[in-house]
Amino acid sequence: MSDRRFLRGCRIVDLSMGWAGPLATRHLADLGAEVIKVESCVRFDWFRGWEATSSWIESDGHEKNPPFNCMNRNKLDVTLDLSTERGRDLLLRLVSTSDAVVENFAASVLPRLKLGYEVFKEAKADIVMVSMPGFGTTGPWKHYRAYGSTTEQAAGLPHLTGHPEWPPMMVHIALGDAVAGLNGASALLVALRHLRRTGEGQLVDLSHSECLLPLGVHGIAEQSLTGSAPPRLGNRSRYYAPHGTYPCLDGRWIVIQALDEEQWKGVRDVVGEPLASFGSLRDRLERNDELDEIVSEWTARRHAEAAMTELQSAGVPAGSVSRADELSRDPHLNARGFWELVDRDYTGKLPHARTAYRVNGAPAEIHWPSPTLGQHNRLVLGTILGLEDEEIDALEREGVIGARPRLREVNGK
Amino acid sequence: MQFTNYTGALDGIRVLDLAGSVGAGYCGKLFADQGADVLLVEPPEGFETRRIPPIIPGVDPPEASGMHAYLSTNKRSVVCAEPECLRELARGASLVIDGSAGCERPLALDTLAEVSPNAVLLSITWFGQDGPYRDFAGTDAVCMALTSQVDWLGEAGEAPVIPGGYHAQIVTGQTAFIGAMGQLLAREFGTVAGPAHLEVSVLESSVCFTEIEAVRVHCGLPTRTRNGVNRFRTTYPLGIYSCRDGWLGVTVLTPSQWRGFCRLVGLQQLADVPRYRASQARYEDADTLDPLIAEAVRGKSAAELVRRGQEMKVPLSLVPTMEQLFGVDQYIARRVFAEVAHPDLGPFPMPVTPFRLHATPAIPGGPVARLGQHSESVLGSAGISE
Repeated sequence: MSDRRFLRGCRIVDLSMGWAGPLATRHLADLGAEVIKVESCVRFDWFRGWEATSSWIESDGHEKNPPFNCMNRNKLDVTLDLSTERGRDLLLRLVSTSDAVVENFAASVLPRLKLGYEVFKEAKADIVMVSMPGFGTTGPWKHYRAYGSTTEQAAGLPHLTGHPEWPPMMVHIALGDAVAGLNGASALLVALRHLRRTGEGQLVDLSHSECLLPLGVHGIAEQSLTGSAPPRLGNRSRYYAPHGTYPCLDGRWIVIQALDEEQWKGVRDVVGEPLASFGSLRDRLERNDELDEIVSEWTARRHAEAAMTELQSAGVPAGSVSRADELSRDPHLNARGFWELVDRDYTGKLPHARTAYRVNGAPAEIHWPSPTLGQHNRLVLGTILGLEDEEIDALEREGVIGARPRLREVNGK
Repeated sequence: MQFTNYTGALDGIRVLDLAGSVGAGYCGKLFADQGADVLLVEPPEGFETRRIPPIIPGVDPPEASGMHAYLSTNKRSVVCAEPECLRELARGASLVIDGSAGCERPLALDTLAEVSPNAVLLSITWFGQDGPYRDFAGTDAVCMALTSQVDWLGEAGEAPVIPGGYHAQIVTGQTAFIGAMGQLLAREFGTVAGPAHLEVSVLESSVCFTEIEAVRVHCGLPTRTRNGVNRFRTTYPLGIYSCRDGWLGVTVLTPSQWRGFCRLVGLQQLADVPRYRASQARYEDADTLDPLIAEAVRGKSAAELVRRGQEMKVPLSLVPTMEQLFGVDQYIARRVFAEVAHPDLGPFPMPVTPFRLHATPAIPGGPVARLGQHSESVLGSAGISE
């Protein structure tokens, strides 16, 4: 297959910033849709940096932040100052040529710019719009402020992790951002199908906290069906033993879980004689302390990698507890070419996580890395919207577009 | 069935699930709840998801898993393992999901292509079709551990803690849905034609949570390790506190959020400490500040603090228990829970598909088939005798 831009011909205007929205549109861009990221010199993607200072701008800080560079590959980037009449007008012209708009602003931002679904619909009657605030666009919490941790809390997930004597425990990997991003991409694909089949656009409403609920469905289902929630047991389980994290010789830890009798036999074969007296699951659960102690003595004499290999050879699910600095060096991921080094201005080569899906053996192509600010102004405004060079020059002079961040003017308001 | 006349956004798509994992189940659920025809093709003992917790006491084994019921709304079930029978069932299918790594598959791609020339074969596995871990046994926790999601959790120097649940497989199902929809749309839009093999692994899907951290560290930025329950280097306070009526979730990052939070909970004296404007200074003093905050909110109402705090633009939240989730006013207003109707487990409320398409809403809840409930009708109409 020569052209792997599966969704070529679809155009998406991306107003989103940070993690969730840009991850959603990154998936569409990886699939070959034309994603046009709209920033402005004053309001650039906050994943480029939170605290702009003149020295930060002078040293190109906005082009060097890893989070931004992770999330925006394969996208075009245009700067439009939406607080100006001209910038707003150009955005609407762009929308009029597009299939979808994606945004994840706080609820008050678009109305202040005199923008929103109804306005976009005037520009393009069948537009798809995906709005993805923390708690959705309706309901009593629709204006609530949220970080990733806030939506994790609201989804009740902290009640499903940790020891019973601990407060509810967050995993805090900004779970909500990644999961909302995946849901945003899913929603866009469904809406694009409906659009192509019927000519009908629509509004898509996404709440990060609702996107997190499926991560807790084992707990929700138990509550819903039995009237009580699963107990928090730390690393223990009511159903499986051994089950937990165990210390290794090199100071690292390993996850071991025997989820059925075959896997338990594997543990017993590998650890050998010290486990000979353990039998049924009930027996193992009753003597869980003793069991864990014996398994720990075995792991403590091995490096984590060696223990993992030995257990896995016996069919036992085991995995070493990797630190973040080890992830880009993982032997399996690297043997599969999961991390792709992509060269980029200002940063040099950076690893990119390729798509977790592969089509006929190949992940999506990374055609270009995350764009620099306003990198595609001429392409988007000239080629797509048909502006003359002199008009684009004028926009630059007026500051509607540009390629360098500007500090917000402090006007005392 | 009750959804016969429903034409959702994914109407006309036929999916066969031969895999029976949580990931495949969630991927298929996203299809089924949007109107696709999803058929579970199960072995005689049923899919493995029928045996995973929560198992409901008093209900006979193949139907006792609450997790399986949640994953299986709006799908049909047939029991069938014969290769010839699979081939017939796959006639005209858009998507066939298996769980195989390597060459041995229940239905080979070229066989599938004979009965459905544009079909996509989707393999959802723990570690992928090749690489040194290909034949490893996987679990959600193993994949979370290997993608550095476990190292951060727990007391400093103590055993890291495994998060509960099926995070890894759920995001895998969602990733598989994106990959599969990409291929199905490409065929409908005419950008490609012919069969395709789509491959998704749980390990690689799990990296979505930690890819940014991995790249940050690669760039030489400092990483973190576990440093206590709800203690994160990003900022302080970022935690969960006990109140009179439940749990209060707190995230305070900016100086104005800190001042607002202190005023809200009656810790005015801390609001004015200049160095506490910086989140890192607060983090350094967390052991001193934590008891003060816990004491300040203990007798108060979490619901009231959240409402007033949010008015002051402080990102607070309730942290509802599983029981309280169903009563959260936001979730009630948005009809987040709908009844899953299982013939043996009875109707029970579960979360609906998270994304809301206003013109083509997903089916809320829906019926769940018993093992093999549709064997006769489906195999009969496919011209297969049992």
